[in-house]
Amino acid sequence: MKRALAATCAALALGASTAHAWEATTTHAGLTEVAAQSSHLHARLHQLGFDRGLFEALTVPPEDAPALLAALAMFPPTAGFTPDARGRQFALAWLVAGAVLADAPFAANHFYDPATHRGWARPSMSVWTRIAERATSALPATGVAAPDWVTSKDNPLGLDGFIDQYAKAVRGATPGERSRAMAGALVAAGAILHVLEDMGSPSHVRGDARAHLDPIGPGAGDLGSRFERVTALAFGRLGIPGPSRVVSRPTLRGFFTTSEGSKDPGLAEATADHWFSADTLPRPVRIATGSRTVTPSLARPLPAPPRLLNLMSASQVDGTTLDDASGVCLARYRVERGLLSFWLDDDCLLAQAQAILPETASYATGALDFLFRGELNVVGGNGEIAVTAVAAMGAGTLELLSEDARGVRAPLTSIELKPALAGSLLAAIAAPAGARRIVALFRGVDGVGERLIAVGAIELAP
Amino acid sequence: MVSGDLRGPFTGKVLDAATRTPVAGALVYAAWTFERGSGLPAAAGFHEYVGSTDSTGGYNVPQLQDVPAGARLTDFQLLVYKRGFVAYRSDRRFADLGPRLDFAQRQQQVLLERWRDDFSHARHLRYVGGGAAVAALTGWEADLAAAEMSGQGVRPGSLGTDLTITTGRGPYLVAAQLLTDTDIKAQTKFDGSFETGPLGDEPDTASYSSQHWKALSRPETWDVALRMWRLDGTAATDRYEELLGSLPSAEEKGEIATRSLRAIEGDIRGIAFLDAPRGIVVLITCGRSQCASPDDAVALAKKIHDRILGLWPITTGGTP
Repeated sequence: MKRALAATCAALALGASTAHAWEATTTHAGLTEVAAQSSHLHARLHQLGFDRGLFEALTVPPEDAPALLAALAMFPPTAGFTPDARGRQFALAWLVAGAVLADAPFAANHFYDPATHRGWARPSMSVWTRIAERATSALPATGVAAPDWVTSKDNPLGLDGFIDQYAKAVRGATPGERSRAMAGALVAAGAILHVLEDMGSPSHVRGDARAHLDPIGPGAGDLGSRFERVTALAFGRLGIPGPSRVVSRPTLRGFFTTSEGSKDPGLAEATADHWFSADTLPRPVRIATGSRTVTPSLARPLPAPPRLLNLMSASQVDGTTLDDASGVCLARYRVERGLLSFWLDDDCLLAQAQAILPETASYATGALDFLFRGELNVVGGNGEIAVTAVAAMGAGTLELLSEDARGVRAPLTSIELKPALAGSLLAAIAAPAGARRIVALFRGVDGVGERLIAVGAIELAP
Repeated sequence: MVSGDLRGPFTGKVLDAATRTPVAGALVYAAWTFERGSGLPAAAGFHEYVGSTDSTGGYNVPQLQDVPAGARLTDFQLLVYKRGFVAYRSDRRFADLGPRLDFAQRQQQVLLERWRDDFSHARHLRYVGGGAAVAALTGWEADLAAAEMSGQGVRPGSLGTDLTITTGRGPYLVAAQLLTDTDIKAQTKFDGSFETGPLGDEPDTASYSSQHWKALSRPETWDVALRMWRLDGTAATDRYEELLGSLPSAEEKGEIATRSLRAIEGDIRGIAFLDAPRGIVVLITCGRSQCASPDDAVALAKKIHDRILGLWPITTGGTP
């Protein structure tokens, strides 16, 4: 158990880079916090015996996960996810810690272009300055596409790690073991949310690696995404707006990208089709004398500027603004010496962030609910305990555990289950003597074949 | 106009926003953040300062001396926390979580808004962040935050009982008001520096307050700690009796206030006294390196009692 948690977090020792995503300690942390507070995670934790829910103090002893604790010790406590010397902090803070640490060292796996189905690709060397070449020489040539990365066996903070730790957080013998494992599950869940949240950044989903090499600081090598820097400066961690709604999808991948045969967009499509990124703006185009219409060359079919741009306003020194249907700035444009060109200034980027963040938080909230969705109904009466499926389930293993007055859990029985409909009786056993609580844990797949942990519990009279 | 310095020092005064009176004993937590790397910046740790406001509400965060080799200083944040008030952050406002643009390096006036029943503890905990120093004081908010998240709202009565500054029992007396660095140095001739703040054992409440003078770069035998209880009826006497029965080598001396005792354990001296009319019990501990003689510890305890007499005159009805 300790080894598993340590292995899950071992990669974190490699250091936390922040240049290739929403900035981790501000934007990702804030997005994940508002998602958690808008999700059902608090209630689920409470149901699992963590009575304070998001504000339950969970402890990961430093000796169990030294790399994780060392990585978090790099950040000041005011950042909101730094445990105390004993490795203790709120459940919410562990979730945020995962969202902050997910970049290290896997930031290149947080890109996905739905047009090409590819992830990060290092920009052509020819477009770099010498300084940029030096500063980014360590960048990988390619990355795993984000939707694949969260389920990759190579991802220590992916779905495998989450499932493993979540199951241990239910079936762990002692409260301490369960607390430690739940912290691990939350770290993995936070890291998964981080990858999803990156799908809300236009450059991440429009094949625009070059946008991450913009100068963003005074140093010659201070390169990154200007959009993401502007967002971090404006909103910080605490100012991130909450979700506008809660997005629901039948699969984890469906939150990232549109599933085959589905009309519900993943966050990657929703972002890529609505917003330009710095280096995928419409290309400059020369306007023929007397022409009232213009058709700029686009990097992607969407978003498409209207055929009738306001070329008169665009001829003024400051140019004019291309808005979306809601009046949010998509880009600025101007005509200078007969050449129509587009650009993004900081005010435009800020307006975009104001619109994008609530949508991103909506997907993150839904994904968090998806990860913790599995529920079993456990009822008791006449000396018998019965477990039924709340939703349709696929095949898997059902394990029943008894918990004594000290909070120690012991396995009662384990049953291999076939697919079952919602409301189906999964198991019935005689209530064991001396048990204070019966806990049911299902590990398998749900009705559409997605990996699932489902849990349920019943308190027994002493 | 003088340009600011991210390294500090940072000075200011913490005031009650409603009355403009000083807020003594508030936690003053400061953190400088470091980064290293170019283009691929990585967190490179932080330096923190933990202190508290003095009896005038003043704070003085000393200048950052060193930046780790190969790292650069990128940020500074100041947090002020006092139970009963909304916390203050130098980077963000609590009300709308928007950026704070009025934080000054020197002579900053920090106005703490009093806590109101309709404020959210879940939001407040998110606002103040974590870490050992802060968590020691904010842990009590977790139950209330959890209740909010469960849709139970705020537990009836708990805010009025625990958080109101003035509860009809007089001013909210805090340990930091009763003894200062200067008092200690004047008595013991100590020429070093202290880091001050509440002890980590339990948070300040209407009935308990603590203050720790941690000698910088010295072993704990140079430290001084003060605990003060303010209790009703016979509870103060009971607490004093408890100290008398539990402190090592405790011996009643009758030197201060209604009753007093001396105790010693290893290199730590302890002096406790009971002020029965005020329902106050004080325990001061002082390491042998700081308090070379028992008389030093007794003198500090008398100084504390003198302050109590001045700050807290007896009014009609007994309890101040």
